Amino acid sequence: MSHDFAKGVAALESQIDSRVAAYFSSCVHCGLCAEACLFYTETQDPRYTPIYKLEPMRRLWKEQHTFWGKFAIKLGLSKPLSDQDFADWEELVYDSCTLCGRCSMVCPVGNDITYMIRKEREGFAAAGYTPPGLQEATHRALTIGSPMGVTLKTLQAALRHVERNTGLSIPMDRQGADYMALFSSMEVVNFPEYIESVACIFDAARVSWTISSQAFEATNSGIQIGSREAAREIVGRVVDAAESLGVKYVISPECGHAYTAIRWEGPNLIGRPYKFEIIHILELLDQLQQEGRLKLSGLTETPLTFHDPCQIVRRGGVIEPPRDLLGKVASGFVEMADHGEMNWCCGGGGGVSANERAEGLRLKVFDRKRKQLEALGVKTLVTACANCRIVLEEGIEDRDMDVEVIGLTELVAEHLAAAPAASSTGSE
Amino acid sequence: MIGQLIDGPLWYFSLAVFGVGMLYRLYSILRAGVKPDLAPPRAGGGAGALRNLFSRFVPRRDVATRGRLTLIAGYLFHLGLFALLFFAQPHVDFLAERITGFGWPALPYWAFIISAELAFVGLLLLWLHRLLHPVTRLLSSVDDHIGTGLVFLVMLSGCLALAQAFEPLRLLHLFLAELLLIYFPFSSLMHTFTFVFSRGYTGAMMGRKGVNA
Amino acid sequence: MSRARIPYRAVTAIQGGVFILFCLIVLLPMLTPTAARAQTQTNESERAIPVPNPSADLWREVRQREGIVAGRSQVAGVDSGTLINPYGETWRNFRMQQLIPYSGYLLAGVLLLLTLFYFILGKIKVDAGLGDRKLFRYTLYERTIHWFIASVFLFLALTGLILLYGRPLLIPLIGQEGFSLLASASKEGHNLFGPVFAVALLLIFFRFVRRNIYQKGDLTWLLKGGGIIGKRHVPSNFFNMGEKSMFWLLALVGVVIVGSGLVLVFPVFGQARITMELAHVSHAVTTVLMIAVILGHIYIGSVGMEGALDGMTTGYCDLNWAREHHAQWAERCEQEGEVVSESEVSSQRGEAAGGPAAPSGMQESGQ
Repeated sequence: MSHDFAKGVAALESQIDSRVAAYFSSCVHCGLCAEACLFYTETQDPRYTPIYKLEPMRRLWKEQHTFWGKFAIKLGLSKPLSDQDFADWEELVYDSCTLCGRCSMVCPVGNDITYMIRKEREGFAAAGYTPPGLQEATHRALTIGSPMGVTLKTLQAALRHVERNTGLSIPMDRQGADYMALFSSMEVVNFPEYIESVACIFDAARVSWTISSQAFEATNSGIQIGSREAAREIVGRVVDAAESLGVKYVISPECGHAYTAIRWEGPNLIGRPYKFEIIHILELLDQLQQEGRLKLSGLTETPLTFHDPCQIVRRGGVIEPPRDLLGKVASGFVEMADHGEMNWCCGGGGGVSANERAEGLRLKVFDRKRKQLEALGVKTLVTACANCRIVLEEGIEDRDMDVEVIGLTELVAEHLAAAPAASSTGSE
Repeated sequence: MIGQLIDGPLWYFSLAVFGVGMLYRLYSILRAGVKPDLAPPRAGGGAGALRNLFSRFVPRRDVATRGRLTLIAGYLFHLGLFALLFFAQPHVDFLAERITGFGWPALPYWAFIISAELAFVGLLLLWLHRLLHPVTRLLSSVDDHIGTGLVFLVMLSGCLALAQAFEPLRLLHLFLAELLLIYFPFSSLMHTFTFVFSRGYTGAMMGRKGVNA
Repeated sequence: MSRARIPYRAVTAIQGGVFILFCLIVLLPMLTPTAARAQTQTNESERAIPVPNPSADLWREVRQREGIVAGRSQVAGVDSGTLINPYGETWRNFRMQQLIPYSGYLLAGVLLLLTLFYFILGKIKVDAGLGDRKLFRYTLYERTIHWFIASVFLFLALTGLILLYGRPLLIPLIGQEGFSLLASASKEGHNLFGPVFAVALLLIFFRFVRRNIYQKGDLTWLLKGGGIIGKRHVPSNFFNMGEKSMFWLLALVGVVIVGSGLVLVFPVFGQARITMELAHVSHAVTTVLMIAVILGHIYIGSVGMEGALDGMTTGYCDLNWAREHHAQWAERCEQEGEVVSESEVSSQRGEAAGGPAAPSGMQESGQ
């Protein structure tokens, strides 16, 4: 990819709003954000301090928004932002940040550091300083429709498989259904049991739903690489499909960043509110269960814990539904020391798992999760994000740990009142 | 002669630089603008902003353990400085005479001294931490050290003038305080005011998402 | 008489002194004719007329040359029954004639000795040279509290020395006006930072006490003079005998310094003037001793020895330095595989020139 410094600076400049200005004005360089970031705690490398990853953006802000900054540039006391800075910071901005948002929770002056890194990536993407892995994923998402290259044919094959296993028929392109379900490529390729579970639950709860052949992919590489244009295009496909089918709700799958993309960023990307609502699958399941439409029976006794996907919980606000649901299906649910909005990231969010270059670092910082799990001593880890799940599984394998990872929706499906009573997590 | 300058014109000049500079900084933050959030919120942003404004005074458990030196020293310094800046008898008298026109109850002398000592302990530890910890070493710029240094010198000169018997010592304290006021709007000392914006913005955004930030 | 007392009052800044002065001022109009005459006339009148002078008797009672006789007074307060404390003069003489000159000679002597050391021995080099392998020596917290107590100590030492040597050394230089200002500033600063030193001392004590307990081998170190006698370095553990002794001196003498300092700075707990005088004497003697020791400490850390300062600044010391100066500790660290390379250290400290993640190293933060 070619580099365009001027374009990058212009893009970065356009990202500086009141929030960013207030945040940079407030930072006193206390260093506490480092203590919240798994890339720092697991490597002790000070360059992984969250606010340090924002140096290019801070310098641009200083040059353009502060008296001293303008003054120092004029006098030649400080060097203006250069192409080399983009090159030097690329690794810090993409490989060592999962946009997990933990630093934003601990900053004493209240800076939302993650918000700024998301914005900084817009500048880096425009300047062409992005990891090849993410470039390719974005390219595939724009051309093929999925970052992993999943086509409609692949989905149809997976759905046929699901139909055979469950004996249910999956409604495609049904006009006027209440809910339109989205999936992430990861689920289609690696975890088709998620689709199976959703089908079974919806059948049991008599939910009117459908899948669009035009837009079934929920993930959005655009928000990971930091390209508004790509993100808008990808969100736009879903919006068009949902509005043409006339559905009331679009269901965001377990995948974390997909939820952030479609729920929180989407309307701002396309510049208008949707004509439908976005609901996360966990919110929907919890709602169905509370309304009594989803009947669950039996409790899994295996001690288990929940890994909060950052984008769903901390950055998404779906905090209680997974805990409600776990309480209904498991008797041995225990929380890790840092959980909910203060959970530790798996290490692969924010596009890091799609960035092959970052694999070594990602496996290294997985130590944080390992320590959490070892402190708790629980062998079953429930999560609600396909990306977290694959990253966790890789980390567990890499560290030779004896821990099983399962999806929450599947766990719920196993406890459907109508389903065979013999279900247990261990048998999966 | 110099004394008159420090006590009169320079005081008003530094006060003006401080006031105008601070307002300009706040204006330049607001001028950058915030786009309205079109995503339907779970809860109101206002409540989230207000909650975050206060909840950030309490550190998160995990970071409170890992960064306890920063937190303890930070609290000692900020609370001590606040108490002695606004509630030491000489300061109350000075502010009443020069700015507000009315006074308010001041701390007893011993409490003033204790708050000064706590502030010194906090500031020294924070400064040393800044110089020694790899993270803060990497982050700290000249500005951070000038800001810390000026605050330290103002506090030190104030403590040297405690006897309130020597005019030159009072003038030295006042002069350094004036330098601090002039430097203030150009530096990260601005966090004194902008932290309200930061916490508010973040709190509002997280509040809309239904997260207690 | 009272004019000459002003710098003296500023120098000592001791409540007792102030009180004596106050008494004198109050009694002066009453005593002046009697006292002035008494001093000149006593000798003659004693021989000339055997009848005792009633004024002299009165003065003798007031002056209480034979010891304090507490009288009664309507004034409520410590020592209010004592008109004049005779030990005040003893204390003043001690301070002026013994403490100031002898402590001055001591400090000057130490400085001279250290200078001689430097010119004779030079900077003590690490025999094997500084290498690129390091050992983790002091955590961030340990370094922070070390420099914390160091800065507070230096400030207190400076202000204390100004108060002690102001009259002979500074008044000739900056005059009485200038010195009275400096003395007032020093006194206020000294009093304010005193309690801070107590806090720092506690932090230091609890952090380092375990590694400073004397153990086998320490005596050998002492007998060989820490390696000054003979050419060999004497093996020692994390801290050597000299460092341990300095620690305990600091701890024990520190208690006296802090205790006597608190007696002086808070004259509100019923201390009599005599208590204050004793507190001042012990404060002065112990602090001068400590300053002398710390001068040596600073000498070793700065110009005296190669590699000695690194541990306290970066947290890491050179492996060769450790082998030569703390052989037992270095050996144990090496056996436990705690040796790190220079590049690891610099990446831990954020000084790496590019390149991705640093390998796992010592846990540095979390203090």
